Amino acid sequence: MVITSGGATGTPVAPPAPSAERGAPLGAPPRRAAPLGPRREAAWRRRDRRWGYVFVGPQLIGMAVFVLLPFVASLVLAFASWDGLTELEWVGFANFTAQLQDELLLRSIVNTLLIALITVPVGLGLAVVVAVALEKLRTRTLYLILFFAPVVTSTVAVAMIWQQLFRADGVLSGAIANVVGIDPPDWLGDPRLALIAVCIVSIWSSLGLNVIIFLAGLQNISPSVIEAARIDGAGAWRLFRSIRLPLLSPIVFFSSIVAFISSLQTFDTVFVLTANAGPDNATRTIVYHIYDLGFGRFEFGPSSAASVILLLLTLVITAIQFGAQKKFVHYEDADA
Amino acid sequence: MRRANSMTRRLLAVGAAGAMTVGLAACSGGGGGADEDTVVWSTWGTPEELTRFEEFNEEFMQRHPDITVELQPVASYGDYHSKLLAQLTSGTAPDVFYIGDDKIGQFVDAGVLLPLTDLMESDASLTDPDDFFPGLFGAAETDGEIYAAPNDSNPDVLWYDMQALEAAGITEDPATLAENGEWTTEKYLEMNDALAEAGLVGSMFWNYWATHYSWISAQGGTAYDESGTFVGNDDTATVDAVETLGDYFQDGTFVVADTMPEGAGADSVFVTHEAGFFAQGRYTIGTVSSAGEQDSYDIVRWPTPDGQAAPTGVATSYLAINGKTDAPDAAFTFWTEFLSAEGQVFRLSGGGNAVPSIAGADEVVLEDGYPAHAQTFLDMRDIGFEDYAPEARIPGLSTDISDLFLKLYEGKSDAQSTLDEVAALVAEKTAE
Repeated sequence: MVITSGGATGTPVAPPAPSAERGAPLGAPPRRAAPLGPRREAAWRRRDRRWGYVFVGPQLIGMAVFVLLPFVASLVLAFASWDGLTELEWVGFANFTAQLQDELLLRSIVNTLLIALITVPVGLGLAVVVAVALEKLRTRTLYLILFFAPVVTSTVAVAMIWQQLFRADGVLSGAIANVVGIDPPDWLGDPRLALIAVCIVSIWSSLGLNVIIFLAGLQNISPSVIEAARIDGAGAWRLFRSIRLPLLSPIVFFSSIVAFISSLQTFDTVFVLTANAGPDNATRTIVYHIYDLGFGRFEFGPSSAASVILLLLTLVITAIQFGAQKKFVHYEDADA
Repeated sequence: MRRANSMTRRLLAVGAAGAMTVGLAACSGGGGGADEDTVVWSTWGTPEELTRFEEFNEEFMQRHPDITVELQPVASYGDYHSKLLAQLTSGTAPDVFYIGDDKIGQFVDAGVLLPLTDLMESDASLTDPDDFFPGLFGAAETDGEIYAAPNDSNPDVLWYDMQALEAAGITEDPATLAENGEWTTEKYLEMNDALAEAGLVGSMFWNYWATHYSWISAQGGTAYDESGTFVGNDDTATVDAVETLGDYFQDGTFVVADTMPEGAGADSVFVTHEAGFFAQGRYTIGTVSSAGEQDSYDIVRWPTPDGQAAPTGVATSYLAINGKTDAPDAAFTFWTEFLSAEGQVFRLSGGGNAVPSIAGADEVVLEDGYPAHAQTFLDMRDIGFEDYAPEARIPGLSTDISDLFLKLYEGKSDAQSTLDEVAALVAEKTAE
């Protein structure tokens, strides 16, 4: 039996049935055509499908238990008061009202947005520069390994190493003191500097990934386009500004969305580097706020409400980014 | 590519499902003992403390061969209570567990702990309620029922550095002044002024409840009334005391230890003779001993206007029994022996880092003769107090209050405003 694909939907479609009239005696009522419908699936395909479910099943169950269930539970708990020990009590939107009036949450949102607004443009800009610098370098594999090492290193380990560098008697403070001739800055103890310290570590640790992505994007630009621009007399800077950067912009856009969402979820660096939320809550981020409410104070309702607020904030910012892309992102095929 | 045959695929599927089941089971964590003769207990602690606890377990099982004891340690205090909460919620909590003094009130109010008063007064008990120093129960006792007892205690004494005092031209010895009833607030502040003039740190304090309430109490103020209402903002003695405290922090004579830079923290400042006083517990013995500078240090109680001793803060942790334990008898046997005078001597001897919470074990503090006035630890414990119950019952409240005091210490607020904000915060949180 021949079964042809039903196209995009994948529904199997049977070949046309033999003509109902062919060979029928004259005057006899026409035989009804066999109804067109899904034919029986081949046994081997059904068996494969079942095994597919078996193999995907554990992953799906894990996702349901560890992602979907907590997500739904968080949405439910956002409307309740619960400390994990006593009876759950429904409170409507009271948690949201209280959180939106909570100075600590507002402080956390400001800190988180500052981290995102500093680390995303600086980090991506730096990554573009490094990627361009490495593009023609013969030893770029060595540099890529060096740049990528922090990406595959545990954030906790990275934060602890930087904690030593940032100490008042550490290497970084000592170097600044020697070069500039001022008292060593207290990076992690001074509320004005602690957030900057977090940004420095975040940019450093994510640089390698962005460099690799941008390098791949640069190498994917058609040489003919570059050649044509050169023939037209474009210099290196003009080539970069008017040809390569616009053609790289879809990748920059993708990276900016990922980096922004990642910045909004900043937690482990802050937790380890600045001992929880830093001096005077200077590095308190939204995710730290959620953690503190939930697991420090056992206030799971307000903690869940804060996490829903973070979700909405992330959606709004991502929507703004998608809106802005129309102006700044250049798609080669669209203009072709 | 060769396709796996049917049997191979079945085996793989069964393996994957099995691995997942094992994984999920592992995620559910341990729990209380498997039977009524097995006691699982949990605590946080340093590697040295946990080693000592394991030694206690071994000795206990030798005395009680019919009982098996298992320790579930958690390295970090910060992670401990959230794990315990998850275990209690899922019905897998240990039979016996530590609880911090900032969390005890909530666990008591939730009704998840075994009431202990009758058991403590029974013949099987080695720990009668009257054996413990009464100020240490704090929020572990409510409406006449005891739900947990203090493991040990740590009164915040004023450690002082004789070299630093000498460098500042101070000739009087604080401990001797205290013995003579002359250790007054005026004298203490004069010494701090002299230390500051000599370019040294006067005193270092951790920003937590024991610091501000010890100071208020020592200066004759009242933070909370008997009903649990914060009244410090309406009490003249409290406002004056907090104003003095704020002034000394703001001019840099007093320093908040929490905000000192990494690498130049309070411990290193103290052992390098750059500070005169440091409010800490008995665990400071380890700090000064490891620096090889112990001969330069002694301890004194908090100063008062008239030079007489006043109650000050004592930090502690509690041991409780799970209200749903399957091994209530074995759990209580372990609980009472752990907290008994003999148990505390075993745990705290050999340069221990705390002070017993029960009568009859004081020799562990005095046996080494260090510091010279070690008796001060015991005197301060005897009359000291735990964190006020309203704060201990509401997680995070004590921290929020400390944040308000930090604003005062940094010059961002004044004493009256700080106390008004604390009163409003306590009223708001206790009303919820």
